[in-house]
Amino acid sequence: MTKHIIGILIAGALALSAQAYAKSDADTTEHEDHSKHEMDHDVHDMDHGDHSDHVMDHGDHSDHSGMVHGDDHMMDDPPSEHAEHGSTDEHTAHHGDHHHHHDDGHIMDHEGGMIMGQNFDELPSSCDSISEEIEITVRAGRKYAKKFPGTAFAFDKQEWRIKPCAKVTWHFVNEDNVRHQFMMHGLPRYLYHLGMFHLESTGPRTISGTMIFPASDETYLVHCDISQHMEKGMKAQVVVGNGGEELTSIPGLTPYAFPDTYIAEDLPQISDKDDDDSLMKQTTDFFSENSPISGMMFFGLLAGLLGAPLISRLRLVKKKRDDAQ
Amino acid sequence: MPIRFFLAVLASFCITSAAFAQTSLKLPETVKVDPAALNAEPICDPKISATWRKAQVIEGVKIQESHLCSPDNPALIAAAVKGTNNISMATLMETDLSPDAIIKTDDLDGDGDPDRIIIKLEVMELNGPSPDFEGLIPTFDIAPGIQPGAWVFAPKASGMSTENFESVRANSLTRLPSPVIRVEQGDIVQIVLENTHYLPHTIHLHGVDHPYTHSDKHVEGGDGVPQTSEMFLMPGEQRTYEFRPRQTGTMLYHCHVQTHTHLAMGLVGMIIVEENRPNNWLQTLNVGAGHVRHSSVAIQEEFDQEYDLHYHAMDKELHEIIQKYNDPRLIARDMNRLYDITDSTEDYFTLNGLSFPYTLRESLIIPEPDQKIKLRVLNSASEMLALHTHGHKATITHYDGIEHNPIAQITRDVYGLAAAQRIDLTLDTTNDGLHSYGEGIWLFHDHREKGITNDGMNPGGNVSAIVYQSYLNDLGLPKGQGIDISKYFTQEFHQRKLPIWQDLDDVGTLGAAGGQTGLDPATRTALFNFLYGLLAGLVLYLLIAKRQQTKQAIAQAFAKLKGSKGSKEND
Repeated sequence: MTKHIIGILIAGALALSAQAYAKSDADTTEHEDHSKHEMDHDVHDMDHGDHSDHVMDHGDHSDHSGMVHGDDHMMDDPPSEHAEHGSTDEHTAHHGDHHHHHDDGHIMDHEGGMIMGQNFDELPSSCDSISEEIEITVRAGRKYAKKFPGTAFAFDKQEWRIKPCAKVTWHFVNEDNVRHQFMMHGLPRYLYHLGMFHLESTGPRTISGTMIFPASDETYLVHCDISQHMEKGMKAQVVVGNGGEELTSIPGLTPYAFPDTYIAEDLPQISDKDDDDSLMKQTTDFFSENSPISGMMFFGLLAGLLGAPLISRLRLVKKKRDDAQ
Repeated sequence: MPIRFFLAVLASFCITSAAFAQTSLKLPETVKVDPAALNAEPICDPKISATWRKAQVIEGVKIQESHLCSPDNPALIAAAVKGTNNISMATLMETDLSPDAIIKTDDLDGDGDPDRIIIKLEVMELNGPSPDFEGLIPTFDIAPGIQPGAWVFAPKASGMSTENFESVRANSLTRLPSPVIRVEQGDIVQIVLENTHYLPHTIHLHGVDHPYTHSDKHVEGGDGVPQTSEMFLMPGEQRTYEFRPRQTGTMLYHCHVQTHTHLAMGLVGMIIVEENRPNNWLQTLNVGAGHVRHSSVAIQEEFDQEYDLHYHAMDKELHEIIQKYNDPRLIARDMNRLYDITDSTEDYFTLNGLSFPYTLRESLIIPEPDQKIKLRVLNSASEMLALHTHGHKATITHYDGIEHNPIAQITRDVYGLAAAQRIDLTLDTTNDGLHSYGEGIWLFHDHREKGITNDGMNPGGNVSAIVYQSYLNDLGLPKGQGIDISKYFTQEFHQRKLPIWQDLDDVGTLGAAGGQTGLDPATRTALFNFLYGLLAGLVLYLLIAKRQQTKQAIAQAFAKLKGSKGSKEND
């Protein structure tokens, strides 16, 4: 008998935990998909025609002569020259470091689309060669927040797994009618100004940029820096190799460092109205109002009392069969 | 031996009681807070270049001199006058503006200025929370260390919401109040609201001639009231409000979603319709309000200077809500259902988004004698404003944007503004004992006295001053009576940790009193009582323990007495 009870308890516990893990299981399988770039390639290929108009390649610069700043610094200025550029620039003199517009490798188009920290061919010192060249499409918008309750904005994916020394062309598709950013932090500063790679799209369109990851295992933060966009869900990570230190509050992936406290409110529910007549409702109500044992506990008790003899009878039957055999 | 012990106790009792009596005569010393122990910040923002104050021409735009310690960025003024589409990338890069923030095209009436104006506004949160660290981001102090959570309409920006990667301070465009918008009568104006915020918002043009809806639906924006003229503008969505104002005046715009909280949170700004004049290139946005360094043609004809004065007040309990939670659902719950505005009290009082002492940085009115100065005043607080000018009686020329009958115009020194009301004032600095009493540093402030406090701590609130140029120092600050104002630029002052009168005289007569030294009176009394008891106990003990000796001693004493008497008798 006690064995049975233990058995039932274990079965119950398993059922509960299975339910709890169901969601995270689904997430993990999704992440595995993310790490396969083939899927991204497909998406990208379909899109490619679209963003060829938007991608600011070198050819475009002459057309926008007035609109492009610092394009000649874009790729291969050694760090020492960066400093010189900063100090001799008369605009920076006014502002100090107010404006990152003067950062090297910064392109802005007439609509406010922006690419910063682009790197096509300069190898990080830790890499002998480029391990692979891939293209990844990142989508940003309010609709991707729907699967994460308590967020307002999100990227379509929260994690990308990348080989060390990979050269990645990011196609950043903004699907909202407001600005969004794809800002990556923590890159080596000798290659990327302030360690940043940044794509910004002012509205529903695509901005693309290329960069090369170093060899080390690292987890890079990707976020939108518009006020409260990262805090409200637009946050992801790029895991290079085996990854580095875990980041907090990546939707669905990592816990919040400072989580909110949730207290369920006593709000009217549809079930309160419709189920007034049901036997179940009446019974549970009766018990919750009149007894320290909650209604559902009564049903559990009933199930246990009735179920236990049944199970032992089953066993008896089985035993008898065994005996018979 | 015990008698000696008793005597020793008695002696020490006498000494301590004498010592106690001495110390109880003296009160605690005055404790002075050493300025070196304070988190002081520079009185003027060191990041602002002195060249910003000069009169200058950028992109062909004439920019008036500013004497302020924190003047507006001249490049931003030039961008606001010409439009971000008509300036060089170099000038644009001096601002944080997006290249499509202000688009000016089409001189429809052929009078030399653009008549199709597109203004893009985003909705930004200031002093919001983070699930990743305990601080706030991006930060905006209304006074040193005072960071109420707030929302603003901000010009469409480019890049980070903070100053830079290392800073948590908001960029130069993301600030209180929502920017002042200037448009010309008859312009085809489109305000494009891009809802970058996580809650729904709209724009309602209060007092500006606008259609309820556009019948052809070429743009969605109308009166800004959700569920009547339009729907809620959800996060990530964009809406265009198009209007062609026929009447001039000082008006306002604000969010009309849950107005009782959204307006108070900061989603309110001034919008001014200027007269249509030839070559009237307007400063479409006056970020941070205050001194207008490129006034309209009509204003330049009549006035020497122009200032936009936007008054607001905040209930800190409301502004804390967005800092308590990260989840937008919890914020919505508290704002929409738990916060009770009928129980609210105003705690912070701002002029152009800032409270004293920051009002000294950018909200001084700096006249010269015999000038005519245009003041446009908006009260966006939910209570009355009783604005008072020291040393001056200004004339109210317009109420809610409409000119008052000139012969009936009122000249006075306290100007009352109910919620959402505007007045235009003409400040005449002619020293005639009526309009002006002469040069000086003349305060102007809310005369509801709570308005001159930061959460009840004075000085604070919306205090600013009319400071004649001769009373201004090199930094652009008023030359007072030599009292050091740097203490106001410390967080400790606003945390009530600095006794405000400690330096009034050398001995600190009105400084902070130190704590009780030694024993407090109650303990002292208890101790004395104990000592009395102890003494009494010892006496009793001695009497009982040495009763034989005592008896003998008494007997001897008597005997002696008798003996002496006897001997006397015998003598």
